[in-house]
Amino acid sequence: MSAPTVAFKAGRLFRRGDTNWVDPQPEKGVVLVTATEDGLIQWQWKNRTTNALDEDLLIFPSDTTFSQVAQSAWGRTYVLAFSSSDQKHFYWLQDASSARDDQIVHNVNGVLQDASFEPTWSTPAASSSSTAAAGSSRDDTLRRLREILTRGGSASGAGLTVEPPSVALSDVLTPANLAPIFADEALARSLFPFLPADLPSPPTPATLQQVVSSPQFQAAVRELDRALSTGLLADLVRGLGLPASAGESAEAFIRAVAEQAGNGGEERMDTD
Amino acid sequence: MSGDDDSSGWQLTESDPGVFSELLRTLGVPLVVDELWSMDPDGLAILQPISAFIFLFKYVAGSSDASGGAGGAFDPDFPGFFAHQTVNNACATLAVVNALGNIDTEMGKDIKDTLEFARELDPQSRGMVLVSSLFLREAHNALSPPSVISLDGLNLPKRTEDAYHFVVYLPVAGSLYELDGLKPHAVRHAPVPSSGDWTGVAAETIQARIATYPPGAIHFSLMAVRPDPLPMLQAQLVANPTDEVLLARMAQEEEKRQRWAFENALRKANHLPLIHALVGALAKSGGLDAAVAGAKEKMRQRRARGQDMDED
Repeated sequence: MSAPTVAFKAGRLFRRGDTNWVDPQPEKGVVLVTATEDGLIQWQWKNRTTNALDEDLLIFPSDTTFSQVAQSAWGRTYVLAFSSSDQKHFYWLQDASSARDDQIVHNVNGVLQDASFEPTWSTPAASSSSTAAAGSSRDDTLRRLREILTRGGSASGAGLTVEPPSVALSDVLTPANLAPIFADEALARSLFPFLPADLPSPPTPATLQQVVSSPQFQAAVRELDRALSTGLLADLVRGLGLPASAGESAEAFIRAVAEQAGNGGEERMDTD
Repeated sequence: MSGDDDSSGWQLTESDPGVFSELLRTLGVPLVVDELWSMDPDGLAILQPISAFIFLFKYVAGSSDASGGAGGAFDPDFPGFFAHQTVNNACATLAVVNALGNIDTEMGKDIKDTLEFARELDPQSRGMVLVSSLFLREAHNALSPPSVISLDGLNLPKRTEDAYHFVVYLPVAGSLYELDGLKPHAVRHAPVPSSGDWTGVAAETIQARIATYPPGAIHFSLMAVRPDPLPMLQAQLVANPTDEVLLARMAQEEEKRQRWAFENALRKANHLPLIHALVGALAKSGGLDAAVAGAKEKMRQRRARGQDMDED
């Protein structure tokens, strides 16, 4: 027999009596989808522990589809459904990572339509941190940064700063340094729009003080310092209306923000 | 807690009662989590009824917690819900779900269905089902900074990060059980009284465990999972609007919720715009030069002392 076109780890689910409820079976298994010589599709489920071939079906092309069961809260339950009958076979994906789920489903359906289908597999993407973010440019930036840094080489164009930072934002944005700003009513009010939108009560200067003293804010500043020390935040800072050079270091960031605030006439900061 | 773990999209979160309580709220569960400062019966009395304890501890370099403290026996036939931890960053949420799987409480449809789905599976498969649950991962990630600032995964040099481990203690089928996602099975400890208070037995067991560690070897804290007292307090206050004790407790609970809401808002926020605005405000107020000069001096001194900037 020829090698399977698609194989994927899966468990089975069986209908409970006459109900619409399906119960997952704990056995670890694998689904093997193979094209036969006469253009049909062989669908097999093998128990990975006992090696028993517990399901062995011969399917006509275009007679079946493999689709996600929408009602499953868990999200990785699929059904092999027949158009020629009411037959339904349920499976739950057992690959530890769901990164390949879409490709598995795409390729399985390809073979189910046409036994001569050639599956395509792209190398699994590095796990993205959040599916909720709809591909915003900031997430793209982060992906590019990850790629640059994991490749280990220096990116063309962007310099990988190896100089240690001369100044840390977390030493600049201390509650002590910021207190005079919060005491200035107009200046304090101008900062309210930048506070988190879902604070439990309307902001006051005291809120500003609380926020900048909070472990969460201080952790964020430290993270930004660490990121700025990579010298690669050009795109990120452009999003703030700053020149790309502002992403090269904490000092460059501070200088650029100061200029942006309209203090071009101020004494320039020493460069070390 | 290897840094080479595939975090599979689970972000590192803080382990704080406010974070846990918010997670439970997101999952539609009317339970809250409170930090405990002691396990003496009087201290626990105010919080009763308690559904579960969560024992968190952080390994300190040089110590080992291989067996996880003395006592108890592995129970491969544990009748309740127990899932393995398969992703490090998910450990807090996994502990919560292990608890939920054994507590009789209302819960939202998604978590209810997922627990049902996973109930018949083995602990390893259950763990996998949980970490590949999109809604659970989103609920978990919602409580950490958005990816713009949280630059986890950029291979920045590792800082000393809190590597907390979470263990759940609760009563199931007449015994005190310990659910540790890194152990192969649930661990059965002493029997608990069928009616009445199980927390005394739990307190003894946990204190015995703590006593096995040399002083200073681990940092730990203890949390109690219990039904949200607010609805009951509110009902009681309607009947007794001037009851001092009730009013005080109500005020205490509300102050705590406010604090949690504030902290959670800060956790979820992208602070970059505020940081940017603060630097600009410092510039406008004329205080930036002095602040930067002072900061540079601090940096020079740190370098001279040979300290790594990232030490907290």
